[in-house]
Amino acid sequence: MKAVCWMGTSKIETLTVPDPELLNPRDAIIKITRTAICGSDLHLYDGFIPTMEAGDIMGHEFMGLVEEVGPGVKNLKRGDRVVIPFTIACGNCLFCKKKLWSACDNSNPNAHLMEKAYGYSGSGLFGYSHMMGGYAGGQAQYVRVPFADVGPLKIESDLPDEKVLFLSDIFPTGYMAAENAQIQPGDTVAVWGCGPVGQFAIASAFMLGAARVIAIDRLPERLELARSYGAITVDYSEDDVKVLTALKDLTGGVGPDACIDAVGMEAHMGDLQGLYDTVKVALMMETDRAGVLRQAIQAVRKGGTLSVPGVYGGLLDKVPFGAAFGKGITMKMGQTNMHNYMQPLLERIEKGQIDPSSIISHRISLDEAPEMYKIWRDKKENVTKIVIDPWKERSAS
Amino acid sequence: MCAALNEKPGADVLPVSSGASALLNGRYLPPPEDGDGKLWIRTSVIIQAEAGELHGMWSDVESAPQWQEAIEAVTKTGERTSHWVMKFGDKTIEWDSEVLADEPGKRIAWRSIGGASENAGEVMFEEAPGGRGTMVTVLQEFRMGKLASAWETLVGRNPKQAIIENLRHFKALAETGEIPRSQQSPAGPRGWIGGIKRSLYGEKIATPEGTNQPLTQS
Repeated sequence: MKAVCWMGTSKIETLTVPDPELLNPRDAIIKITRTAICGSDLHLYDGFIPTMEAGDIMGHEFMGLVEEVGPGVKNLKRGDRVVIPFTIACGNCLFCKKKLWSACDNSNPNAHLMEKAYGYSGSGLFGYSHMMGGYAGGQAQYVRVPFADVGPLKIESDLPDEKVLFLSDIFPTGYMAAENAQIQPGDTVAVWGCGPVGQFAIASAFMLGAARVIAIDRLPERLELARSYGAITVDYSEDDVKVLTALKDLTGGVGPDACIDAVGMEAHMGDLQGLYDTVKVALMMETDRAGVLRQAIQAVRKGGTLSVPGVYGGLLDKVPFGAAFGKGITMKMGQTNMHNYMQPLLERIEKGQIDPSSIISHRISLDEAPEMYKIWRDKKENVTKIVIDPWKERSAS
Repeated sequence: MCAALNEKPGADVLPVSSGASALLNGRYLPPPEDGDGKLWIRTSVIIQAEAGELHGMWSDVESAPQWQEAIEAVTKTGERTSHWVMKFGDKTIEWDSEVLADEPGKRIAWRSIGGASENAGEVMFEEAPGGRGTMVTVLQEFRMGKLASAWETLVGRNPKQAIIENLRHFKALAETGEIPRSQQSPAGPRGWIGGIKRSLYGEKIATPEGTNQPLTQS
């Protein structure tokens, strides 16, 4: 099959690789019909995430048709159309039973690597480094899905793939960000970062009762999309715009009831021998980029909530914890507990409350993926979201 | 400390407190320190299964290769004794083991009685606080010897970590009926630096099968 492979920092290649096979009773093999490049894939592309190996298959946002199931999978059959959550969960452990699916105890075969860095390991993820499980990703024609009796969401309606694809990560991630923001009806919510997760956080904040959403970014195409979802926008790159002042001006001096940091630190941290330098570089990048978190802590109103869907990996420098304490704020964060949100958000799509496909700007083949990684990383061609049809031939252009 | 590890088979009176326990009279008890050529490791997990069921799974020593790394075969040789074969590459290590104490649903203690490995251990099963499953604690003692050095150089896993991983596999198997494993990362050959990293990531050690169930299509 064809697959998009990480071959080193800033080096992505589309290669022909062996097809995946069933390895465990609860596995399924999925023939992928649509897959996407996530903003967090750029962290891998840029080499910020340790424990990537040349030849690792990328991709954690995908859907398709069930090709084959193991003997432990009773709820799926060949031909079923499914969306796969990017976090892998067993459904049996203490954490899955608490519905903290992204904290699953049993889905990361390399849990010991995470334990060294974080104390405890979270769930395994598709296509996201060896410390996250070393699972092959879904920017490919086929993928092996473990615990397929728990994660995959069956799509019974005739909704096109593009409308339901983002149930695999970014729509639930944006929604959980809004839920974590503990929005009360009438609240004003500020969202830093208007990439796909930020866009879905904006839309979800309105669904949860926000009266006003303020979106902060610098890219015109993203700010325009945010306005199309009903947000008012602040372009922090404009001369004379100071975000903290803007947020005071737009909230009568009170500050936003909730702040959502959909930017993150853009790097994970591991403390493996031999990767020390990689980690050190990653940490320095993170330290440089703590700006959004600091700003959000400053901006949020007294007793407000800070929600962090943006990815953080390591140690943060100069976090204004005194301000957080002084205002009595609440902070909520973490990888998305995907399995809680997929079905209810599918229902919202079916009812026509939201069309997630409106963020898509580019539709490509697997062969075009390597050049699109570069274009997106460099923020060219007004990219907002790239979707791949793994069976499409390279377009004629 | 760890009286259970010195018990004699068929002892009439079993010690009141378990050797593996992290608690003694309401106080935290740290694990034994390495020394005198001995390595100690204590590790615990919470498993969503009944203590009796887990005790049964652990007692079934002939099924140990399903969840213990590098264990090729285990044969019961008597009511309390078994023969263990560990294999990595073309190297094989064998030893005999005897059960020192066995309280169904509570604990099992064992030690090696000859062969290439000198080890002793105990596993205890107790209800987790708040009834949130069964807390399973393993205390294992090794002598640094052939076993440890072969383990480290060939398996690329330090023997303490192997105990942690085996308990993790035991939990996954008990809770999910399988042991997680990944494939195709990377999709192609890794080269020699990749090979070193493979050791470092612990990916060089074959994940135990977890099940004998065939993967036929349903």
